[in-house]
Amino acid sequence: MSSGRDVAISIRNFVKRFGDIVAVRGLNLDIYDREIFGLLGPNGSGKSTTMLTIATVYRPTEGDIYVYGKSVSRESDEVRKYVGIAFQEPKAMWIDKPIEILTWHARVIGYSMSDARRVVREVMEMLDLWEQRNKMFSELSGGTRKKVEVAKVLIQRPRVAIFDEPTAQLDVIAKHIVWKAIKELSREGSTVIVATNEMYEAEALSERIGIIYKGELKGLGTPAELKDKIPGGDIIEIHIEGSLDPLTKQMLAEKLGAYKIDHNNGLIRIYVDKGEEKITPAIEMLSNKVKIKMISMKEPSLDDVFMFFTGARLGE
Amino acid sequence: MINIRNISIIISRDLQRFWKYRWWLAGLITMNLADLFIFALLFNNMVRRDLIPNYFLFIATGIAAIASFASAFSIGREVGVEIRRNYTQYLLSLPLSRIELAFGRILSGTVRGLIYQTPFIILLFILIDLPSPLQIIYILIASTLLSTTMSSISIAISTATRNFDMQATLRSFTYFILFFISNVFYPDALIRQRFPGVLYNIAYYNPVSLTVSLFRIIFKIYATPPSGYSELHIIMYLAIWALISMFMGGYLYIRNLEK
Repeated sequence: MSSGRDVAISIRNFVKRFGDIVAVRGLNLDIYDREIFGLLGPNGSGKSTTMLTIATVYRPTEGDIYVYGKSVSRESDEVRKYVGIAFQEPKAMWIDKPIEILTWHARVIGYSMSDARRVVREVMEMLDLWEQRNKMFSELSGGTRKKVEVAKVLIQRPRVAIFDEPTAQLDVIAKHIVWKAIKELSREGSTVIVATNEMYEAEALSERIGIIYKGELKGLGTPAELKDKIPGGDIIEIHIEGSLDPLTKQMLAEKLGAYKIDHNNGLIRIYVDKGEEKITPAIEMLSNKVKIKMISMKEPSLDDVFMFFTGARLGE
Repeated sequence: MINIRNISIIISRDLQRFWKYRWWLAGLITMNLADLFIFALLFNNMVRRDLIPNYFLFIATGIAAIASFASAFSIGREVGVEIRRNYTQYLLSLPLSRIELAFGRILSGTVRGLIYQTPFIILLFILIDLPSPLQIIYILIASTLLSTTMSSISIAISTATRNFDMQATLRSFTYFILFFISNVFYPDALIRQRFPGVLYNIAYYNPVSLTVSLFRIIFKIYATPPSGYSELHIIMYLAIWALISMFMGGYLYIRNLEK
């Protein structure tokens, strides 16, 4: 037990190396039973590696991961009975048809043939895939391939459902259908992990979010908790031409009482309390040094949270 | 504990895919038949009658044996494609033990080899004679063991290296060893006469040679068994080949797919 909730997945000192490349560096994390946990990070941050290790596709180099108490290193056969994963890149041979891919998947996870046919049809209809059931995988669009991948987990309804960027390449309507299905899985009792590099997706789905960057966990909490961790309630954003010299940056921080100032590609972000009182002094101080193009103030979003914890934007 | 249902489901998928390549298979069958009806008939009048009285029937038994090679090897080709497309990650995530996965794939190759080989065996029945029920069982066992050996070797080759060129080279090398240093095309007497000691032993204990020898004994292409041992001896050697290659193929498949 942790924080009064049962732990479904316990990641302990998890390190994964591929030759000289360290993909994950000493990750420690608990994911609670039946929660939807968002793993937020840019491509190459280590989130897919972590999820593939939970699914026993990779083995930890150091440390271990426990799924309902079973070690992925030592009891991988048992762990796989709990876990279903929708991969970032859809996994199918190009000559196969969606109906064949999903029916075989249903059979291999334990459905009888008649149940497999029924469940596959239900899920395919829900995801608007039924009409395309007999096309070869190579003929499907990227979005449809992604739906086939997601359908595998929706058919499986595992205790631990992992989705790696589940709505990449999907249109808005399909995204909402998939989100609804993921929430339904959680309500039915699955623990869900969603890896994404989309802030709005993490916020729309997740009860808690882990921010992972360069193989390390940088932040953890509910979206509200993460936003609260940003000192100062406001962010002043100033778009400038040219660059800000370090001395001016330091003076600006002292004058405004800023908790942190980020300066990146012509955008200055100043984390302060009572932002509305700090705008005028900021303009006065900067107008002599640089050309100000635009100025605005806002409450922190998850985007800001990510930038605060990592010092980088998600697209970088 | 190995779950037979899981293995049968893996085999069912691989057979379904096998059927999708039916035109490629038809091409292979045509090639094998062309070997038999053009190449063998042509050579029938050119070879020494004292060594091979009837080259057509002689090579028909050889072709029936090597028929299992192409289709059993197709499983290795698919495993190679799966590795290149990262499809194996999906297989590794399924609720199957690694042993079930590995042996499921090997046995898929076995079944493919048997299916492919069956019409060639029937052709032998038509061309030569219908053997006794016991001999038919021997043929079935030998074909199963040879197909298992081929399937395992092909999976081992496809997983031993991720370099596609290297895989192709290893496959060609295996083909060369198994076919040309064997008794498929030449009789034992000639192999003994022309091949140095090591090559003769390779040719003698090669699983393709063993199977061909069994077929030739059963179909009485030679009155005296050319290799000098009985059907049961041959089946025992084939079983050793199948067991060793199955464990090697299974081990390499699992070891090289897991990171």
